[in-house]
Amino acid sequence: MADTTQEIDNKPFILEMKNMSKSFPGVKALDKAMLSVREGTVHALLGENGAGKSTLMKCLFGIYNEDEGEIVFNNKRLKVSSAKQALDQGISMVHQELNQVKDMRIMDNIWLGRFPRKGPFADEVKMYQDTAKIFKELDITLNPKQKVRSLSVSESQMTEIAKAVSYDSKIIVMDEPTSSLTEIEVNHLFRIIRSLKARGVGIIYISHKMEEIKEISDEVTIMRDGKYIATRKSNEVSTDEIISLMVGRDLTHRFPVKTNQPGEVIMTVENLTSLHQPSVIDVSFDLRKGEILGIAGLVGSRRTELLETIFGTRAKKSGVIYLHGKVIKNKFPKESIKNGFALVTEERRETGIFGVANIIFNAVIANLKRYVQPIKILNNKKMQEDTAWVINSMSVKTPSHKTRISSLSGGNQQKIILGRWLLTEPEVLLLDEPTRGIDVGAKFDIYELMIELGAKEKGVIMVSSEMPELLGVTDRILVMSNGRVAGIVNTNETNQEEILRLAAKYL
Amino acid sequence: MEEKVINTRKQLYDNVTKWMMNNAIYLVLLALLVIIVIISPDFISLRNFKNILVQASTRVIMALGVGGIIIAKGTDLSLGRQVGLAAVISASLLQDIKYEYRMYPDLPVLWIIVPILIVMVVTALFSTMNGFVVAKLNVDPFIATLGMMVIVYGVNSIYYDRPPYGAQPIGGLDKRFTGFAQGSIHLGSFDIPYLIIYAMIVIGIIWVIWTKTSFGKNMYAIGGNKEAALVSGVNVVVCTILVYTLAGLLYGLGGSLEAARIGSATNNTGNMYELDAISACIVGGLSFNGGVGSVSGIVTGVLIFQVIAYGLSFIGVNPYLQFIIKGLIIIIAVAIDSRKHGNNK
Amino acid sequence: MKKSLALLLVLALSISVFAGCGKKAVETAGGGDLPTIGVTIYKYDDNFMSFVRRAIEKNAEGSATLVLNDSQNDQAKQNEQVDLMISKGVSVLAINLVDPQAAATIISKAKDANLPLVFFNKEPSATDMASYDKCWYVGTTSAESGIIQGELIVEAWKANPEWDKNGDGILQYVLLKGEPGHPDAEARTTFAVSTVTDAGIKVEELELQTGMWDTVKAKELMDTWLSKHGDAIEFVIANNDGMALGAVSSLQAEGYFTNDKFMPVVGVDAIPDVLTKIEEGTMIGTVLNDAANQGKATVDLSRNVGQGKDPLEGTSWILDETKAVRVPYVAVTMENIEMAKKSYE
Repeated sequence: MADTTQEIDNKPFILEMKNMSKSFPGVKALDKAMLSVREGTVHALLGENGAGKSTLMKCLFGIYNEDEGEIVFNNKRLKVSSAKQALDQGISMVHQELNQVKDMRIMDNIWLGRFPRKGPFADEVKMYQDTAKIFKELDITLNPKQKVRSLSVSESQMTEIAKAVSYDSKIIVMDEPTSSLTEIEVNHLFRIIRSLKARGVGIIYISHKMEEIKEISDEVTIMRDGKYIATRKSNEVSTDEIISLMVGRDLTHRFPVKTNQPGEVIMTVENLTSLHQPSVIDVSFDLRKGEILGIAGLVGSRRTELLETIFGTRAKKSGVIYLHGKVIKNKFPKESIKNGFALVTEERRETGIFGVANIIFNAVIANLKRYVQPIKILNNKKMQEDTAWVINSMSVKTPSHKTRISSLSGGNQQKIILGRWLLTEPEVLLLDEPTRGIDVGAKFDIYELMIELGAKEKGVIMVSSEMPELLGVTDRILVMSNGRVAGIVNTNETNQEEILRLAAKYL
Repeated sequence: MEEKVINTRKQLYDNVTKWMMNNAIYLVLLALLVIIVIISPDFISLRNFKNILVQASTRVIMALGVGGIIIAKGTDLSLGRQVGLAAVISASLLQDIKYEYRMYPDLPVLWIIVPILIVMVVTALFSTMNGFVVAKLNVDPFIATLGMMVIVYGVNSIYYDRPPYGAQPIGGLDKRFTGFAQGSIHLGSFDIPYLIIYAMIVIGIIWVIWTKTSFGKNMYAIGGNKEAALVSGVNVVVCTILVYTLAGLLYGLGGSLEAARIGSATNNTGNMYELDAISACIVGGLSFNGGVGSVSGIVTGVLIFQVIAYGLSFIGVNPYLQFIIKGLIIIIAVAIDSRKHGNNK
Repeated sequence: MKKSLALLLVLALSISVFAGCGKKAVETAGGGDLPTIGVTIYKYDDNFMSFVRRAIEKNAEGSATLVLNDSQNDQAKQNEQVDLMISKGVSVLAINLVDPQAAATIISKAKDANLPLVFFNKEPSATDMASYDKCWYVGTTSAESGIIQGELIVEAWKANPEWDKNGDGILQYVLLKGEPGHPDAEARTTFAVSTVTDAGIKVEELELQTGMWDTVKAKELMDTWLSKHGDAIEFVIANNDGMALGAVSSLQAEGYFTNDKFMPVVGVDAIPDVLTKIEEGTMIGTVLNDAANQGKATVDLSRNVGQGKDPLEGTSWILDETKAVRVPYVAVTMENIEMAKKSYE
């Protein structure tokens, strides 16, 4: 159980981040943000995606340099310029994507970069003993000589925590640590966290799961739009209050007026289950003409996997997809494209753009068939025209058609990729986090485009982690929880609390 | 109850498959030997195994060099040419003084270790340059070492093709030198060729370096996850360069021994050896994605190819067919490996 | 910007330095009224051709200007070099083809420029030779090297009855063949054996495999064969000296050539290392491909036709019906070793 208010107030601050500001071209990522963590407490850091949590953490680890503000750690001004230096000072992070050498043993990972020596050799015995000692203290039952590759996510996470302890860390940042853990694993993690607290370690706990936060944290700090909003004692604040502090904004002018009218059913998905688990289990829903269907859920709720399974980049085990009442297979992306599907991926840098190529190439690449002339030479004029259409219809800001796509901003890149798929004239457009990492103006353009597509009787499915945009743009919202459908709600009849509640249904 | 039985049976099956996957290369080696023995039972002789081990000796030394580089997520195409350079230089410095066609007619008799050390320094320098270009200038290892491969060949040809005798194989090697590689220790009726002993020593040293020192562990870490190594404070640049330097030392040693083993050297000695060495590493379980591999794997990989070359000649398989078998083994080995590590979608 | 400028500067400097060196090497003799002979060598570092090249340089001194090219074993490169020489205005072309099939192309280039043409060492087909009246050939008869090697074997076998170790009156041999399909490899293999059988000696082929002209491959094949057949092998025939050296090295490691243990080995080429081996008694003979005379004949013919004279004017060469000068091969054994050595002076 969390400590009482009295006990918490008696503990001194170990880390204070004051008036932190940081700007990127076009965005003020941090605007006088604050965070004060007491030793021996768990401090939850809350905020929507894009609220500035990760920027603040990157400033702490010296990955970014703050424009303004000061960090006091252990009563001293902190100045670090790399994660390694932060580690040496006693500040460590357990990453969401674990940064480990998978083919080495646990103890090698823990002592990497500072192996104990015995003459010219690494002292295996000392490594083993020291690791075993830390494991014992933390109640971890792994064999230090096991390879990291053979560990489950929660086990690798524990070794990361052990590594932090081995550096004698005073502050440990945990970024969504429970996003892919089972309940038993979460309980084990919490036991470890409590033993860390007892050692006087301050823990910054980033998560979206309200129940968890209430259970494990002592204090919460809420951020929004790069600003500090409030700090509360966890046992004195209600979930509702936290959510309203997190959202707390006027939603009216952030979204275009909806002009689309959902009509008859265009696609039906029945009992879809993917072959390789954990992934999508028994998902059924339908999509109407002119409808924008939102897909909500926590990290790890298999939303992306749902799109991939429908599109055929992920193998299906069972289930049926109907398009216009006819069964379709969508076994491979190529077939899906032919059936009128298009998928815009979340990781556009990795799976979306051809960075070194120009805009024309990026706009037409998915649809070369359209330009083939009798002797197999591509029709340059037509490609130019289509590219111009993409640029104009989506108000892409670019000096010319021949500009390298990687020199555009994230928002403009995203528009080009959307344009690429629109050129294939899809019936069903699958969008995975279409507005992640792009600025407010570009977001608005993309919302407008989606609504316009709806008005043209296309079906749009949008996966998003941003609650406001789900509530602001969609017609219905399908909430995923742990690979299953937790519920489908009408957007104008629901609210954030209901969606969050559904999202936790199968955890 | 019944379900339980099925489950354990399935588990057993899974375990067996897994074990076979993990030990695939050793099974391949075993299978090859069995097939050869079935076809020609007189293959089982001490003599044959000795021959195979001797022939594998110099190759294993070279493969261990490039193996370290592959573990650190690099590659080295200049191996063969560096071996050639080492062979030519060491041969030119160790010609019998009574031989009429010496490259250096006035060179005195050298203590045998001196030329070997000289070539090891030379190849270590070239390799260090490789490492520098890869680690510091961030050139892709394939390209960097491709360039070095051509450069070293040019350097070697200039050294090799010059008066008084022009492009002649450098032969007439000092008996001490050829004896150094071709001789054996006699233990009663049993003799162990020196080459096998040298290879064992090198295997031992490399095994210690890879598994028992910080340098070795850092090498695996860099190959496995460069980012993680960097964040943990490993000096990635220096460590990468040293991995190449170590490889260079091994090429130098391997090249000298190769010259002594053959009894002569030309500027084409070592041509394409990199492909044999890299294939052996890959078959031995190393991955181009870096971070995995063991000395025993590489040794087995080299032995597999040597058994193919020797054993198949022994049973009289058409040499062209041998190429096909070799190629298939490379592909199958890597396919098994990527199934083992592959992430299923 | 600065960096790339500096790089360019370094590049430019190094090119000019190397170009300087190159020029000195290429244009050996002074200008004047001497005919300019445009020479291509299929591959500079081929050991035999390097001697032909030296003979050409020696014979041209004072009587012709040379433009020498290294075709680097690449026919496309050679064609470009020929174009370049024609446009430079040489008075005659002396071509050592990379690929004999490419003769027609070279002939048509020469025809267009109305230049006389002398092929050497690699023989174009009879049809190609007949297609241009101003083209000649200097070389050998491929079959001859095999025949002479065969004669050498016959003579030695008859003189040493104790070499028939099992006393069955049959010569049991192993043969190391050059690259399959190579005209020399095929001719030498066929004629060496047929000459022996024609002389009334019964033979048995224990092994015949390709060593690809390569010393290492030959050594390893010999290791295998020795292990398989041991003393049943009575003769080792190699298509070239490089492979013969590999065989000798393998035999030495097996304890041959000491304490009465002997194995007759023959090769072709008479490279210096082999001459020493013959003197030592570890090889019984080889066949000299007369580099000095091939070079001399090439220069003699080229100079004459370059000056518009009769090709044979002032020389003792004879042309056969295919407009070819055939420089004879010579058998080299202990008895005439001094003659062979002279060709390397």
